[in-house]
Amino acid sequence: MIYRRLRQMGVLGINRRNIDLTSRHNPRRLYPLVDNKLRTKAMCIGAGIPVPRLLAKAEHHFELEELMGRVDGLDDFVMKPARGAMGNGIVVITGRTERLFSRTGSRRMSRGDLQFHAASILSGLYALGGNDDMAMVEERLVVHPEFRSIAYDGVPDVRVIVYRGYPVMAMARLPTKASSGRANLHQGAIGVGLDMATGTMQSAVRHNAPLEIHPDTGERLIGRRLPNFERVLQIAVAAAEITGLGYLGADVVVDARHGPVILELNARPGLAIQLCNRAGLLPRLATVDRIADMPRDATGRLTMVKELADLWTRD
Amino acid sequence: MSPAVVWTGIIHVAVGLALFSYKVLGLELALVPTNPEGVWQVELALSVRGTGAGALKAALPSNEASQIVFDETASSDGLSLSIENEGPGRIGVWSGDLKGIHRIVYSFRARLTERDAERPLPHAPFEPDVPATVTRRYQEPTTVFPAAARPVRELLEELDVPPPDDPSGRLRTLVAFIEHRVATVSDGPADALLCLAEREGSPQGKSRLLVTLLRAADLPARLVVGLQLEEAKTPDLVRWVEVWIDGGWFPVSPVGDFFGARPRDLLALRYGPGDLVDGINAAATDLRYSALKERLGPQELANMMIPDNTLFASLSLYRLPLPAQRALRVLLLLPLGALAIALFRNFVGLGTFGTFLPILLGLALRETQLVLGLAMLAVVVLLGVVTRRFLEGLRLLLVPRLSFLLCVVILCVVGLALIGDGFGTRDFFAGVVFPIVVLTMLVERFSLVMAEEGFQEAFRRWVNTLAVAVASYPLFKSTTAEHLMFGFPELVLVVMGLLVFIGGYSGFRLTDLVRFRLLGSSSETIPLTSLEYPAGSSRRALDGEVSGSGS
Repeated sequence: MIYRRLRQMGVLGINRRNIDLTSRHNPRRLYPLVDNKLRTKAMCIGAGIPVPRLLAKAEHHFELEELMGRVDGLDDFVMKPARGAMGNGIVVITGRTERLFSRTGSRRMSRGDLQFHAASILSGLYALGGNDDMAMVEERLVVHPEFRSIAYDGVPDVRVIVYRGYPVMAMARLPTKASSGRANLHQGAIGVGLDMATGTMQSAVRHNAPLEIHPDTGERLIGRRLPNFERVLQIAVAAAEITGLGYLGADVVVDARHGPVILELNARPGLAIQLCNRAGLLPRLATVDRIADMPRDATGRLTMVKELADLWTRD
Repeated sequence: MSPAVVWTGIIHVAVGLALFSYKVLGLELALVPTNPEGVWQVELALSVRGTGAGALKAALPSNEASQIVFDETASSDGLSLSIENEGPGRIGVWSGDLKGIHRIVYSFRARLTERDAERPLPHAPFEPDVPATVTRRYQEPTTVFPAAARPVRELLEELDVPPPDDPSGRLRTLVAFIEHRVATVSDGPADALLCLAEREGSPQGKSRLLVTLLRAADLPARLVVGLQLEEAKTPDLVRWVEVWIDGGWFPVSPVGDFFGARPRDLLALRYGPGDLVDGINAAATDLRYSALKERLGPQELANMMIPDNTLFASLSLYRLPLPAQRALRVLLLLPLGALAIALFRNFVGLGTFGTFLPILLGLALRETQLVLGLAMLAVVVLLGVVTRRFLEGLRLLLVPRLSFLLCVVILCVVGLALIGDGFGTRDFFAGVVFPIVVLTMLVERFSLVMAEEGFQEAFRRWVNTLAVAVASYPLFKSTTAEHLMFGFPELVLVVMGLLVFIGGYSGFRLTDLVRFRLLGSSSETIPLTSLEYPAGSSRRALDGEVSGSGS
């Protein structure tokens, strides 16, 4: 019953994603480009795509002291593993006193805690497959004013699925109290489906339940427009282009100072985006398959998507 | 699924099945690791309580066409055993001073063979003469079989039985009467006449009535009591009737189980109306029959499993030295476990700790008993997680920390072994190959998931892991599966083919359906504003209306 309905809607399941999308359009050799955030960052900078500024990095344990030395001069920053998955191992420092760093979710950690965390990252604790990893320290992004009232204690981001050069679906992920400031859906962040032409918020879901109002801030979500949406799609498409991946999820943050920046890229993006948009991916992918062979530059493809968006939203 | 996938799958399955069926059908290798001849080890154990001199009589099986009894042994404390013949059967008599309690054990092995297929009921002409010995013994009315009683005579008239020169017809009529017109009630009357009057009876009553009716119709008949032997079950007491027809005994079930061919799992113990065990001046307690289908020894099995065909004989794994065989037996079970994992992962979508960890656990549980193994796992992981928590404060580096945990896990296992020994379950840990390193990783992953995603998620995954391990456990425990995979390693090809099919399945997983249930529910129930707008309305109108009324 439900099986047939999901099929009719063209919902993409995990098996199908693995067989028809990631294994067909994403050559394995390209994975390290996106699995390692340092490489992604370098690549983006080379192509003129904006990314958060890298402040420090450490690859070996002897470099930790140097890393901590850099950190000592910073008031706020983000420490993360270069090869982490699903937001694991990310520490966001929002401010500090002499000895203590304060994290999001009003937690605190000492300098020693932070150094231990960096060491754990190097040992591969958070890395895919448990291999050795690198620790990186980035500037902390500033929530765009338009987002301030709908993001609780964290930075929201926009996930864009880019298929063969066309952005096909997008959602905004809004941190909540329950997700302790993280923008991960499975931890309780809100996923909001976006209209592909305008970036208007159409439907929101948290933990599989629909909602229209941000539970922590009381602000209405539906009908709001994402700032700079066109630019968001633009850099997502540009990032997809330089990686060479045919099916990619780009995480974009709209920073108050820099505007949209690429936070990370994902070669096996999750499927919950369909839930937030109340729509299956397959019809959109099929549309793209019909038009993908026509030569178009990025601007042409974005214009095309604007035209298609009405059709997609109505499906 | 692409044609390449389908063909790869089909070819693997086909080649595997072709080899397998040739070995089973062409070379006649055994599918199950038991003797095809069906040798059973049967034991009668009982206690006798008496007050003085007395005896205990028990029906013993005897050799006949469909059963061969051998290796009989008997033990009893202080009683003497003599064996008396009673018709075609034998009675063991234990006699002596029965004061107090005596334990009697009598065991034998029996090979049950099928009596040459179903005996067709003869049409006339057939052997008309019945030997006088048979007539005398099995045609006379007795108290148990009151063939001359009036209700019996009346019934025969009422049933309008065929004339005496058609014994087959008579037999059919009477058996049909017993089968269809007398109800079987387990605690119904056991007496022939009562059973006839009430038209219902226990299997014993019905068989007595059938013998009575047959004798009244001039057909020699006798009652047989035996055991229905069944694997892993206490044998059931079964009664049936044999009727002399065309110069031989023809077996018939009074409850319609068989007619002419005695099933192969029946062992006849006593011919006649008496009980299986009877005490004189003594009472039998704790009477118990038990039966075990005999497994083959490694050598016997090897002889059976190495075919005559030289090519296939040289490929048989049974030619390898025994230690190598033992290792390969376990190894060849792993593909089945992997198949189970693939099914769980791609059809169900359960997230477990590590891909193959659950089957390694399942394999480890095979060495222990299920419940004890699970309890042990729980203790080790619990202690491990607590230790891990403590280590967190020390801020050790990853590899030394894991190694520390490994030592804790090993100490846990050592401690459990000592405790197990204290409780006298020495075998419990013999040969435990709990993958210690795997356990350590399990502890580490459990702790990590707990820290990252909360206890609930860690526990959920732990339950999933155990569920898969427990689900694969019967597979690993099954001697039949082991025999099949070891005797027919080409089945690995079949597993590979199935894996190709599973790998090509692009449909939804069960967890997809749960995840997207919101999308699957009918659209009216979704409080959706944007989707319900008519196709023509502009987006501006949508924005205005949504922020205005919020419908």
